[in-house]
Amino acid sequence: MKDCDLDFGFRYSVALLLGTLALLGLLALAPSGFAQDLQPLVFDTPEITLVGEDARAQLLVHTPTSTDGAVIDLTRNVRFEPSVPGLIAIDAAGLITPMATGALNLTALADGYSPAIIPIRVELSGVEETVNFPNQIVPIFTKFGCNGGGCHGKIAGQNGFRLSLLGSEPAEDYEHLVRESRGRRLFPAAADTSLLLTKSIGTVPHGGGQRMELDSHEYRVLRRWISQAMPYGDPNARKITSIVVTPSARQMARNTQQQLSVLAKFSDGSSQDVTRTVQYESNNLDMADVNASGLVSVRDFGGEVSIMARYQGQVTVFRASVPLGTLTQALPMAQGPIDVAVFDKLKALGIPASAICDDATFLRRVTLDIAGRLPSLEEVDAYRAVVAIGGDSPEAIQLRRIELVNRLLESADYASNFASKWSAILRNNRSGEDTRYGSYAFHDWLRQSFFENKPISVLVRELLTATGDAESNPAVIWYRQVSNTESRTEDIAQLFMGQRLQCARCHHHPYEKWAQQDYYQMAAFFSTLDRREGALPNEPKFGSRVAAATANHPKTGQALAAIGLDSAKVELANYEDPRGALAEWMTAPSNPFFAKSIANRYWKHFLGKGLVEPEDDMRITNPPSNPQLLDALAKQLVDSGYDLKSLIRSICTSTTYQLSSTANEWNIKDTNCYSRFYPKRLSAEILLDCIDTVSGSISQFDGLPVGTKAIELPDTSFASYFLTVFGRPDSSTACECERTNSSTLAQSLHLLNSKEMQGKLSSDASRAATWAGSAISDAALSPVENIRKTAPDRIRELYQRSLGRSPSESEQAIALEYLMQRADRLKEAYEDLVWGIVNSKEFLFNH
Amino acid sequence: MLNFFGGSHRMCSGLSRRSFLSAGSLCFGLGGFSLADLLRAEEQSGKKSTHKGLINIFLGGGPPHQDMWEIKTEAPSEIRGEFSPIATNVPGIQICEVFPQLAQRMDKSVVIRSVVGCKDRHESHQCMSGWFPDDLKALGGRPSIGSAVTKLQGSVDPAVPPFVGLASKTQHGPWSNSGEAGFLGAAYSAFKPDGPGMENMKLQSIGLDRLKDRRRLLTSLDTMRRDIDNSGIMAGMDAFEQRALDVLTSSKLLDALDLSKEDPKLVERYGDGKPYKYQYDGAPTCNDHLLIARRLIEAGVRVVSLSYGRWDSHGANFDLVRDHGGKLDQCLSALMDDLTARGMLDDVTIIVWGEFGRTPKINNGAGRDHWAQVSSAWMAGGGMRVGQAIGATNRLGEYAKERPVHMQEIISTLYHNLGINTATNTIVDPTGRPQFLVDHEPIRELI
Repeated sequence: MKDCDLDFGFRYSVALLLGTLALLGLLALAPSGFAQDLQPLVFDTPEITLVGEDARAQLLVHTPTSTDGAVIDLTRNVRFEPSVPGLIAIDAAGLITPMATGALNLTALADGYSPAIIPIRVELSGVEETVNFPNQIVPIFTKFGCNGGGCHGKIAGQNGFRLSLLGSEPAEDYEHLVRESRGRRLFPAAADTSLLLTKSIGTVPHGGGQRMELDSHEYRVLRRWISQAMPYGDPNARKITSIVVTPSARQMARNTQQQLSVLAKFSDGSSQDVTRTVQYESNNLDMADVNASGLVSVRDFGGEVSIMARYQGQVTVFRASVPLGTLTQALPMAQGPIDVAVFDKLKALGIPASAICDDATFLRRVTLDIAGRLPSLEEVDAYRAVVAIGGDSPEAIQLRRIELVNRLLESADYASNFASKWSAILRNNRSGEDTRYGSYAFHDWLRQSFFENKPISVLVRELLTATGDAESNPAVIWYRQVSNTESRTEDIAQLFMGQRLQCARCHHHPYEKWAQQDYYQMAAFFSTLDRREGALPNEPKFGSRVAAATANHPKTGQALAAIGLDSAKVELANYEDPRGALAEWMTAPSNPFFAKSIANRYWKHFLGKGLVEPEDDMRITNPPSNPQLLDALAKQLVDSGYDLKSLIRSICTSTTYQLSSTANEWNIKDTNCYSRFYPKRLSAEILLDCIDTVSGSISQFDGLPVGTKAIELPDTSFASYFLTVFGRPDSSTACECERTNSSTLAQSLHLLNSKEMQGKLSSDASRAATWAGSAISDAALSPVENIRKTAPDRIRELYQRSLGRSPSESEQAIALEYLMQRADRLKEAYEDLVWGIVNSKEFLFNH
Repeated sequence: MLNFFGGSHRMCSGLSRRSFLSAGSLCFGLGGFSLADLLRAEEQSGKKSTHKGLINIFLGGGPPHQDMWEIKTEAPSEIRGEFSPIATNVPGIQICEVFPQLAQRMDKSVVIRSVVGCKDRHESHQCMSGWFPDDLKALGGRPSIGSAVTKLQGSVDPAVPPFVGLASKTQHGPWSNSGEAGFLGAAYSAFKPDGPGMENMKLQSIGLDRLKDRRRLLTSLDTMRRDIDNSGIMAGMDAFEQRALDVLTSSKLLDALDLSKEDPKLVERYGDGKPYKYQYDGAPTCNDHLLIARRLIEAGVRVVSLSYGRWDSHGANFDLVRDHGGKLDQCLSALMDDLTARGMLDDVTIIVWGEFGRTPKINNGAGRDHWAQVSSAWMAGGGMRVGQAIGATNRLGEYAKERPVHMQEIISTLYHNLGINTATNTIVDPTGRPQFLVDHEPIRELI
């Protein structure tokens, strides 16, 4: 027993308890000082059994749950008193290790609380236990990063010593460690002098530096294993089946800590505490971090944060919600399940929402998001008229916004906007003149599909099962563009299921459960697809040949049948096109991935931030910020028969989407609770179109009719410096991340100083030219007086065209003065004014 | 002399300015850094620090390895060729007679006579990245050194792109590929001094006064609260806008490209490489590019790539080497002296190489054909252990007999010289997988 540890813990506890008491005071549960009023301490588990010398157990002690769901972790603040000394050791973090066989009661004590007692049993066999390589040694390599991709885990190993990535192949690791290099790494006769140990504690120079401490728990296990002459262990020994973190979720106060404990469950029903061997990772370091022993520290931000724990290919997640602590505000009216889910979270976290945005902002926002363009002057006027008639009652506001959304969804612009979005990630681009027909036809098929509101399930089925050539079925172009089985497998997993399978092509996915077997079972769906010569070069025909749908496992060579991820085998006759079964499985309401992935992608399109980020990486280790909301959106999509317009309608008419981007005092830092609208920079194509609209000069694209907008371009191969510099993707991958919205110097230079921009501002067709040309309406007045008369309307028009609103009085005054001072060069002055507006953040962002 | 904007400008390729622009890629180079990079770079500005640089001189077409740095004196005449070796200032090392000035600087340079891992394909991709164009093609391909450095190190000066490609467009396109951004995307491409990105650095049809007027107007109208955007994009736009204005007022980059600002004596020392012979569909022997490269590195560029000459000598191999080699001898020795005089040679690596070697047997037209089994390279500077000749081919110059050096080992050495450890640095590809820069380690004899 290390008494000093306890003393140390106790001294700490006094200071920390003062803080804790203050917190409890907030909860109106402050202990009065009388024993009968004391809060009891609580252990997380009823009892603990330590079997074997390697056993460990992380104690967890906390306060009882208060009325508002708060629990305070006191693990490091209590004193532990064993009823029998010498049986166990406890460290400052509350980790117990066995010392001698026996049973005891352990009491946890803290001032201001009544004590808690837990029975503990220790069973030591007295015989040195045989170490099991896969279960005990490999996790040590993972824990210390030895088998990471940057070290011995990379394909070529490091300095001649190679381990499998994150220990996915223990048998190979054993081979490399024990047999390779003439066995020089291990020396059973004097285990401590083994290279493996001397390198890892740094007594012999090691490129990776010192990884572990001499005589640490891990060191002792390794040394014992070596001195036992490196047994592999029973290959049929228990296998790990899952890991469980305690607690799995907790509401925490800001600037507090929570100790985690992690239990590994095995195939034989046994379990083992692995708290100290697990790797932890926070998904938001601004909010919380976690140390190697599983202590989570949350910082000063409110919100939700997840801590991922990973052990031997198994993963689990601890979720902490950290209320901001502000009093619950009156939230705006909830319109449906979306708002319920968002507002529930805001209430739980105590984050007040911003107010609903005004009508002008909403018109611009939703027109940009759905139709990919600015509202026209006529639309702005018409909407103002509707607003004037309808008034400002919440019902009237909601009614007219629903009507607006419906009108936009029926427009051809809606179809173009989403065809553009999907065309890019379906990799529709041209590699030469030969491929033009197919590329255009594919885009047209997409646009038509969105215009008709083809259910996304049907669209995906048509895409996956496409047979024939571009003329008879344009959807086959996806197979032309994504030309091999691996890319097809990976693309559909990423596009329609939010699963990134790429890693599992060559090895077990490091952060996911997917193994190579899962990958090649998916790949088998494409194994019978043939590409044949078509009528035109580069317009091939695709079709399935009669054969069994199988793909070979690259390691075992075994022929794997086509099976969807996490699903059961479907009997397929050789004459059946396996892609039909793939589409069937993928778009079935029971598919656990499809609806969520589509819902998340669309949510991100409108709200600027996916419930899962990145939107196509939906791992268990990358949980949604609001699972309730993701479920609600997915359910809505399934229930509506995969109706995309219906999904968009629900999103855009929700109160959440309508919230103002203006922040209040408390939600300015909010980045994933949707307490306000997050401004989004306009995407490259939309920005170019908007600048065209406002300046009055239209862009032209090679080989397309005059007036074709950037958002209508059939693919991403049209040369445009503007579009490239503002982040248009090349369509070379299925990743939405290829499109970038980050700011660069090249962008600023282009907006500020390019010939292209100046040409648009000053061309004969430009608005500046038109306005300056018609400035003199009354010859009797001086030029300045004429400007005073005619300019205010133009300034108003400019604001309405570009920002969807009228200028404020001061804006009007600034603009007018600028024009009047330059009466002798009025066209230039108008150019400057248009330039000023299109360079303003209000224009460049959808807000 | 070389002035990209003035009325009288000279373009090395002899292409018209118009064709330059239309042929110009969409590269803009400056995109490759974020707000964080900008702030970091600004924080560092003022501190005098010499950065590491690389000048990658690509000899498109494949220079004859046996007629450059290792003359096969033992080989029969149908293989040996017309050149004799000359002694260098390092005892025991001899190189081809057409490089007398380089021979006198052998103590400051390295020749590698046993480069392997080449592919028989006429393209610069391997010399720019170490990889084949097909590697990771589905993700967009492997990034070149310049693009990777842009990603890993950002800019020295926020107004100067870290990666500049000087090669002007050649009729055989892959010879003027300055190094691709690959899966990193267009934001990490080479800045090309002939594209719209270049044009935008010079005030267009409006004057500076009017630009300032516009800025004042914008400041008074652009009143949206910046703090509502947590993504940093708005703040970034503001910062870059300010920087863009600085660039327009005075640009180190433009000055670096303008040889009229250079001492005429020095320009003369580099030579002009004219008349351009054997050019056909390849690059000219534009000596100015080497001087511009030095000026660019001085201005803050990290990686400059350029394409020098057309070495695809299926016919008249020896005349070609005499012509190109002599010119190269002049400008390369000038570059070494220039960097030495400025105290930059230890920080700047120069490499001169091509996509493969050439056949041992001389063909009927006194030419040599493609030979990917072995190739050669010349290097200098970068703090390397110089004054060495590494490796050797067999008697007939057919294959690497001693110390085969993989092309990726050379690339790895270049990364090393730039301060990037290829054993630890990775770049995350679009699938989320960290990718090592190359699979080989630096050349141990050199570092």
